[in-house]
Parts: sequence; C-alpha cells; structure tokens
Amino acid sequence: MEPPPPPPPSAAGAVSLPRLPILTSDELSEKAFGPLQKRINSGADVSFFLTSRAYKELMVWIMQLNHSLIPRLSSDTARPVCFPLEPGRREWSEPVRRLREMLGGCEDLILEAPPEENKNRRFGNGACRVWHGKLGERIQGWIDGLGLGVDGGVKEELRGYFMGAWGDKGRLDYGTGHELSFLAFLGGLWKVGFFGGEEEKEGEREREVVIGVVEMYLEVVRKLITTYTLEPAGSHGVWGLDDHSFVPYIFGSAQFTKPILGSRTEATPVEGSCPGAPKPASAVDKQTVEDYRGSNMYFGAIGFIYDVKRGPFWEHSPMLFDISGIKDGWGKINKGMVKMYRAEVLGKFPVVQHFGFGGLWAWEVDPEMVGERSVHLQSQPVQNQAQSLGQGGGEGGTKAPWARGAMGGMSGGQVSMPRPMDGGVMAPTGFPGRQPGMGTPAGLPGRGQVPTPRGGIPNTGPMEQTSFPRGGGMHDRVGGNQFSVTKAPWAKD
Amino acid sequence: MSDLDRAIAQLRACRPIPENDVRELCHKARELLIEEGNVVTVNAPVTICGDIHGQFHDLMELFRVGGDVPDTNYLFMGDFVDRGFYSLESFLLLLCLKVRYPDRMTLIRGNHESRQITMVYGFYDECLRKYGSANVWRYCCDVFDYLALGAIVLGASNTLSEGGGGGGGTAPVAGSDVEIEVCNADQQIISRFLRKGSSSASSSREGSQAGESQVGEGGSSPERGRTEGSSNDAAGGQPTTNGFGDGGGPPAPTNTGPPGSGASGASGGSIGNPAGAVLCVHGGLSPLIDNVDKIRLLDRKQEVPHEGAMCDLLWSDPDEIDGWGLSPRGAGFLFGADIVKVFNHRNDLSLIARAHQLVMEGFKEMFDASIVTVWSAPNYCYRCGNVAALLELSEDDSGLGVLARSNGDVNRSDGMGGQGSRGVLMENDLLGYNTAGPARRYRVFQAAPQDSRGMPAKKPVADYFL
Repeated sequence: MEPPPPPPPSAAGAVSLPRLPILTSDELSEKAFGPLQKRINSGADVSFFLTSRAYKELMVWIMQLNHSLIPRLSSDTARPVCFPLEPGRREWSEPVRRLREMLGGCEDLILEAPPEENKNRRFGNGACRVWHGKLGERIQGWIDGLGLGVDGGVKEELRGYFMGAWGDKGRLDYGTGHELSFLAFLGGLWKVGFFGGEEEKEGEREREVVIGVVEMYLEVVRKLITTYTLEPAGSHGVWGLDDHSFVPYIFGSAQFTKPILGSRTEATPVEGSCPGAPKPASAVDKQTVEDYRGSNMYFGAIGFIYDVKRGPFWEHSPMLFDISGIKDGWGKINKGMVKMYRAEVLGKFPVVQHFGFGGLWAWEVDPEMVGERSVHLQSQPVQNQAQSLGQGGGEGGTKAPWARGAMGGMSGGQVSMPRPMDGGVMAPTGFPGRQPGMGTPAGLPGRGQVPTPRGGIPNTGPMEQTSFPRGGGMHDRVGGNQFSVTKAPWAKD
Repeated sequence: MSDLDRAIAQLRACRPIPENDVRELCHKARELLIEEGNVVTVNAPVTICGDIHGQFHDLMELFRVGGDVPDTNYLFMGDFVDRGFYSLESFLLLLCLKVRYPDRMTLIRGNHESRQITMVYGFYDECLRKYGSANVWRYCCDVFDYLALGAIVLGASNTLSEGGGGGGGTAPVAGSDVEIEVCNADQQIISRFLRKGSSSASSSREGSQAGESQVGEGGSSPERGRTEGSSNDAAGGQPTTNGFGDGGGPPAPTNTGPPGSGASGASGGSIGNPAGAVLCVHGGLSPLIDNVDKIRLLDRKQEVPHEGAMCDLLWSDPDEIDGWGLSPRGAGFLFGADIVKVFNHRNDLSLIARAHQLVMEGFKEMFDASIVTVWSAPNYCYRCGNVAALLELSEDDSGLGVLARSNGDVNRSDGMGGQGSRGVLMENDLLGYNTAGPARRYRVFQAAPQDSRGMPAKKPVADYFL
C-alpha cells in the first residue's frame, strides 16, 4: 500500500478552483453512454454515492457556478462588480440563448395543457401529466436542435436529466431531486463542450448559465408549481428550508457575499457581505424581498414563498427566519447552504435514490472521495428491520431504536457526519486536501464530530425525485391524487 | 386551580409547559391510555376530527367552531404532530384535555405518532428547538405507543340534532330526511342532502351562501358531500362565539366513564344502535383485518411497525380500485369500494371515518358514503388553500333503536352467506346503500386569522451555518 501523498497546502489561493472537465473526443467515444441507470437502492448505496465520481463532479459543478457569482473587486471602480439577475436582458451567448428557447418551450407547453377543473382531485392537478406528455414528445427534437455533435447515447443521458427536472408526474410533486437533475443536465452539457472553452472574463460562462438558464428554469418550475399545484415532494412542513428548492439559496447568497479579486485560485469567502447588499436580516422583510427578488436568487426564492404561503414568515419558514439572524454576512450563509446541500440533498436517500448514472455522471469510485459517509440514516432504508421493530418505548437514548437497524449497513456501526467542506480553505470542492483513505478532509481537524444523532440538523423539505421518465404503471395511476402524503422513510420507491 | 388546569390554560395560550410537567403529563396519560382497548368504544354524540399537524391556531379555531371541551365530545383520529410549527403545543393540549376529561376526549393514533416518522417530518426538530433536548420528544413518543388504534362510535342517530343552522335550528322542511348537512364556521347551513328515496326528491340547499353542490343528483354520485366553493362559504360573515346555535347544543351524554373501559356499561348492549356503528381509524383497512375483533387482538403498545395490520390501519388509503393495491406511500395498502362494503357489512358498520389524506373541501365521502375522509388542518402547510372539516354525529335519543350489535359480539353469523338472520341493517346493506346510516353534520372552517401572533426571537441556526 502506498503511503498517502502529502497533504496539499491548505492556505487559500494555492489551489485552483476545479472546473468540470470537458470530455475529449476520445473520452466521448470510449465511454459507454446510454439510458441512465438507477444505482441507489439502499442506504449503503448512498454511502457509495458519496465516494463516487458523480458526487464529486456534481459538487465541482455547483461550486464552479457558485464561485462565478461572487462579486469581483474592480480596479476601474470603487465599488465591486456584482452579478445581479437580469430579467430584461435580451442578448445572451448562443448556447444560453438556445437553452432559454428550450425553457420557453417548456413554459409554452403549459398553455397546451391547461389545468383541469376541480374534478375529483385532492391537490395536484392531473393536467400536469398532459404537460409531461407533451414535453416527452418535444424533447428529442429540442435536444437535437442544440447541435451538440455527440452521439445518441449522450443525448439519451441529457434527455433523461432534462425530463427528470420537472417533478414526478405520478405523484404530482416537485423537489430538490428534480432540481438536481436539471443541474446534472447543465453539467452534462458543460462536459460535452456545449458552453465552449475558455472565456475572456473569468467565470463569465458559468455566470450566464446561472442567471440566464438556472434562474429561468426556476421561474418555469414556479409556474408549474402554481399552475398545477404541485406538492412539495416529501414535505417536512415548516421544518424544511424550502418546500421545493435549494440552489437559489446557494447562488443567491453567493451574489451578495464578500467580493473577491476574481481569480480562479481565490477561495470562496466564508463570511462577510458585498458592500451595498441588503442585510441578511432583511431577507424576511416582505418589502425588501419585493425590492430584491428580481435581482437576487435568494430573495427570489423567498419572494416565491411569500407568494404561495399565508401566515407569519417565522412560523411557516422558521429555518430561513433563523438564518436571517446570522451576523457574519452572506459569506457565512453561502458556506452553510453548501454544507447543508451536501448533507440534506446529496446525502439523503429519498432525494438521490432516483438519480440516474451513466457516462456523464459516473457511478464509479473516486479515490479522493473514499471516506464520505451519510449522516442522515433515518432517511435511508432500514437494513435490518427486525432488530428495530417491536421494541416499543423505553429506549434510553435520544436515538430511535430503528437507527441501529439503519446503521446495519455501515462499517463499524459508527456513523460520521458527511464532512461539510471547510469553508475557509478552498471551499470550491472541499476535497482538494483529501487523501485517499483519510476520514476527514483537510482543514477539518476535529470538526467531524456529530453533536447529537440529529441534533439541530435541519431537514430540507423537498425530498424525492424521479430523475428520468418512468414506465408509468402503478405509480402513475395510484400516486396521483394525493396531496402532501407522508411517505414511509423506508419506502424504496 | 389544579396543575392540570394550569397546564391547560398555558397551552391554550400556545405556550409550552416545562419539561418536568410534560414528563408528568405523559406519565398520567399513559396510565390512562393503557386501560383503553385497541378499539375504543365511544357513544354519540361525538365530533370526529382528522389531521391537525401542529396547526395550533387552527385547532383553536376547530374548538371554536365545534364547541369547547368538555361541552363537546371529541374524537381525534391522529396525526397531531409534524409539519406544523406547533406540534408540541397542539399534542400536549389534546393530551391534557384527555387526562382532564377522559370520557370526553378520544385520541387515536396516526401514522405520524411514531418515532421514525417524527424524526423525519419535524416534531423531533421542533422539540429540540423548543427545549434544547430530545427528552420531551421521547416522552411524547412513549405516549404514542399507548394510543388506541381505532374507535367505534355507537348510538349515533340517523337524524340530525338541532344546532346546525344559526339561531332557529334546523329548518323543518327537511326534517328527519336530512342525511348530510354542511355548515360553515358561522353556523350557517351551506347545503343539505336528503336521504335517497326520501319524499323530497333531491338535496335542498339552504342558508344564504352559494355552495355549489356536486351531490344534488339524488345522492347518486359516488362521492357525496363534496361542496365546491365551500371555502368562500366558510369565509363569509362574522364568526359567532360558540360552537352551537342558541341553545342548540347537543344533549349532554348520559354515559360517563372512560370510553372502552366498559365501566359505564355503554360499550355495547345498553345503547341503541339504529344507525349502525361507525369505525374510526386514521388510515384505513388492512388485508389482514377482516373483522374489528382482530384489531382488538393486536399488541399495539409499540412503535408503528413497517408492515402488518397495525401499520396498515394507520397508513392505508381508499382508492378507486378493485380489491387491494400497493400504496405509493411505501406503507399500508390501497383498498377499493368492494373491500369497504364487505368489511362494513361483515362488521355491522354503516360508515368508516378516517383521516390521513388532505381533501380540499375538508371532507370527502366515497364509495356510496361507506367511508369518509375528514381533514382538520385548514390551509395545510400554510399554502394548500384547503378548508378543514369536522364531523358531528348526533346521539340517538329515540330510545327505540334496534338492539345494539356491538362489534365483536359473539353470536353473530359472519361471512357473506349469513343473510336471513340479520337485522334491518342487513337488508339495507344488501341494497348497496345504507339508508339507515347516521346523519352527518360537517362543519367546515378555514385557517384561523393570524392577527396577534408575536414574532419570537431568532434561534441559533443549524450547525451548517456555524
């Protein structure tokens, strides 16, 4: 066994922000592409996922996008250059323009699938299935229209991610798993070179992807949610971050974080705010939210909450309310959101179980990633139910009896927190200092401890997704008319 | 003022009680609940409620609309906790009321009254946030294990008591032919549905509101009692202060003692049961349970299992299918009209009342009114825009009811071949529609106004943000 390589320097700025690699033509011809494969069927599979190439690259992609939105210090002006949303912008780069056209097509399909009148429905509107059907008819033409110059297998994968990005047509719900599928679609396009190579201004292409495409996607999703009253997938009610979305909180906090000089080697700030940015405390103030929702994704997401929820904000969104009390600025919030995303979205079985793998996002172990583990075992399928059932009350600890069962598949019975990246040092991926076989990422000494089994660990609301169209069947028929159904955490589908 | 009354007062003000008081309360509650059978017998009149999900202010609204405890007897069909902001206050208040008025309050278990579910869907997080430790969550979960799995309502009348409409009580025109009456939160009658085959042809709508009925076609719609636009109806007018119209409150129950204890002698035999018994359960039926007695045989004092009869009772849903189907929830089953009708027939039930699924109109009768879903969390999760409902069953005070066939009676011929030796209900059952089912009054209400809820201090954030 080889000795582990020496840890790379942990000081900020020493290591360049990883970018999602663009596949060479050799790689494109050598790798196997085809229909997406479901791989995550148990809690142990989630543990594997957290060590996989797909997981690492998804985080690279998200951090790459995140980094591009950080305000830049400018030698030309006293004020830093910020990157607000640009609702009125007409000119986009050609790839972004085409994707926006595609998203516009999705939005137009709503007109072709008007919501049904309230006929024997409980919540979600069945016309959403018509919408899905029409999307399925159009999608191949749209993908072909992108002019990718790749073969059918790659397109098949891209199509799968795109189709999985709009909620579950059986359950008529939408959550972060679907959102993840869209990010995988965009990352897949990046990998095949759709967005081009080096740009003139650092981060420019990524920025356009977020403010031109991701934001428009979120707008179409919100329209779907309100038009078809889509259920929050696996809603935790008030105890989640948001009923449906997560990434706008990451990207929106990046838009307001402390400015950087602008090189790719500069770490993502972990505290501080951009001069002139509204205070985090104002993120719950309805008027301030109105003022900024058009220019900032964080405020845009909260604006949507205000649109759809009635009641005191602190009551229906206590987690966002508490986060608005953070004193260390948007950098702190950005760092926390990324950590939370890794644990609560990518580390949760119900969310990632339907994610499809293939040549773009590979289900293969990444040596840098060994050692990742999921914390949230209670949402994993129970490995050994027998020992957790029938014991009734009287359990001594805070931990519920079945938790042991859930841990049956974990090595050593010891569960560690999935390591949130150390925000301070090379936040972009969190793994640059990772040594093979090393349990803790560099820069996180002593931080891997879990306070209590689930103490203070928040849930994110949306939980489930279908990352690729399914063969209809039972699900389509029976899942449909149920609103905010509680799904069994141990359910595998 | 006793400690209990003080706790009730504090919880009514939506303020949590100290951890030690919770422990003591839960201990008392367990002592009480352990004496109850898996299927509690409850005598009409009773007001049946569905999911609450921690919507405390809406629970207060429910008590305003339905009448306060102990003036009104309540039966809550579970799912007190999770998703809402006040699961703790809601559940503890209901538990206090149960301990304080054990014969006026019946609480049965929902699928969310479970350690595993509350860890995922919010109640655990809420307890941690409000107490800084999971002790209270543990105390509550220990109580969950003792909650009954179902209830049987006996002695329900097939005519409505007075008190539905404001002021003048029930209008004479419908009289005893009224099977279903829907009222808004202001005691106004939104709509009425007559019994099938009654002299007045179809439904008559009363009240000043414009509730559009989908049921009006002589009651032939498979889904009876749906009222579109009821949310608007419920919104209108000024609220009144009390759950019932002037002097129209239900007669005080004549039997006391904890339901199901048998001590009152009311759990079968002494009360007429002309309208058939009503089974209340959170989710629905189980393929392992063809007979109410089999529920009584379960060992319920445990965490809700992932499968089996106990799990099914708390997780299943009715659906427009034949027979049984797999549930998309991953627990319990789907069951069709045929299952319900056979089950009701076999067990002398006229109706199954259950909760577990949001219905936009607050309640939904299915399968020729053989099963009803009652949902009591208005504007669920602050965003669904649904109204909530509660179901009132009146007491049969005619004194002339047919002899009760308490479910679980010994000498009852069972099975489908047992015609001939059965009573009146039997014939009706065979017609596929039970004209002798209990009269139902649904009160529909909206989310409580959010006027005076003070903003709390921000709490420390989750570890991710430290």
